[in-house]
Amino acid sequence: MFNLPIEGEELFALEFGDIVNYFSLYTTTLFLFATAFIIIAIIARPERQTDIVFGTDAVYTKEINQDNLRFQRFMAIACGLATLGAVCSGDLFNFSLFTALIGITNIGIVAGVNNRYVLNAAYNYGIVAMVATTFLFGGASMALGTCGTLSIWELAGKGLVPLAAKMFLVLGVMGEGMAPFYIAKAEITRAPGAPYVLMIHVSSLLIFLRVIEIILTV
Amino acid sequence: MDFYQAGLFCTLVCVAISFVALLRERDDIHKILIVDLVETTGLVLICLVATDLAEALILPGLVVGISELLMLTELYIRKENLPIPSFKPIKIEVMRTAPPIITFVLVVYGIILSGFSGGAVAGIGLVFYFLCKGYEERFELLETISGYAWALWIVAFFIFMILPQAWLIAVMLSGGAILIKVTTKMALIGTMREGRNV
Repeated sequence: MFNLPIEGEELFALEFGDIVNYFSLYTTTLFLFATAFIIIAIIARPERQTDIVFGTDAVYTKEINQDNLRFQRFMAIACGLATLGAVCSGDLFNFSLFTALIGITNIGIVAGVNNRYVLNAAYNYGIVAMVATTFLFGGASMALGTCGTLSIWELAGKGLVPLAAKMFLVLGVMGEGMAPFYIAKAEITRAPGAPYVLMIHVSSLLIFLRVIEIILTV
Repeated sequence: MDFYQAGLFCTLVCVAISFVALLRERDDIHKILIVDLVETTGLVLICLVATDLAEALILPGLVVGISELLMLTELYIRKENLPIPSFKPIKIEVMRTAPPIITFVLVVYGIILSGFSGGAVAGIGLVFYFLCKGYEERFELLETISGYAWALWIVAFFIFMILPQAWLIAVMLSGGAILIKVTTKMALIGTMREGRNV
């Protein structure tokens, strides 16, 4: 498993029957990255945006509701934990479940902002995320149907998983990680709800990197 | 072409049909219903494998689907600023007299059954009671109990894996914990109609 080009050397493996949760050099890097951003989400203070009143030179700072702040911080931390799970799981179905959880918490982060336009956008993201779970579960179950196992450890290097299943997994991750939709906006890190929106980008990036590792390995 | 491939082909046709429906739909609340349909076809893809493992994968798939549906509906309610509907409870005599007896029978039978099915039976009893009687409930207490029971369930799984010779205590722990967890979770459904959080 660890002589494949992408993995790097083995650092730790925990066996639960045929499902092996493992840390290679690659996944450990992703894990540490996610941990760093969880700590940032815990200690960061919310961004207080300023609005300029049109036509005058008055500037006022937006108040941030305490309840919304708590909800967003909780969702950001939960998103980070789900990312940790997705990064170190050694099972295709666990990976897709954690990815679906990332989708839910991402939308939670966006939905914490009390703004009609933001909520509208979050609703549309939610529809995309729900549709994407079909592809995620479809990809994992097609791998199970053709190979008889879901363990990445056992499938590694054999090339048994059909191309369609891999494509489904990638499509699912594209739907769940919503940064590709969100990144089109100019204000990536200063959108309403900053700095917690940062977690959206981090988790999307990490699950993209992880799914690439998976489809190159199995 | 074996049965699995034929089934896969049919399911993918269903996925395509539901996607076309989603594309043509313009109304937001109807979109939620169609998205649920799309998600169900995802579960069908898991069902097609038809092994014990696939059966075990259905439940987490379903739970994730339902939680996403709940998230989307909450978001819709918040987006549209919908108020909580208020209506008077229905006055039917059976709904005043029957609940204590039926709930008692169901809860006792559920405890005898224990485990997941026992939890479902006892939970249905509590749902019926709360729906008929009205209540004042401490939701957070119920949620906390459910959370601790779930943690005990996981602990039992670790005992199975790490200390297999202590299987009896693990079976008892998981059976009791899942009974409490499913019961409290289902009882929360019965409290959705009205009542206040004490």
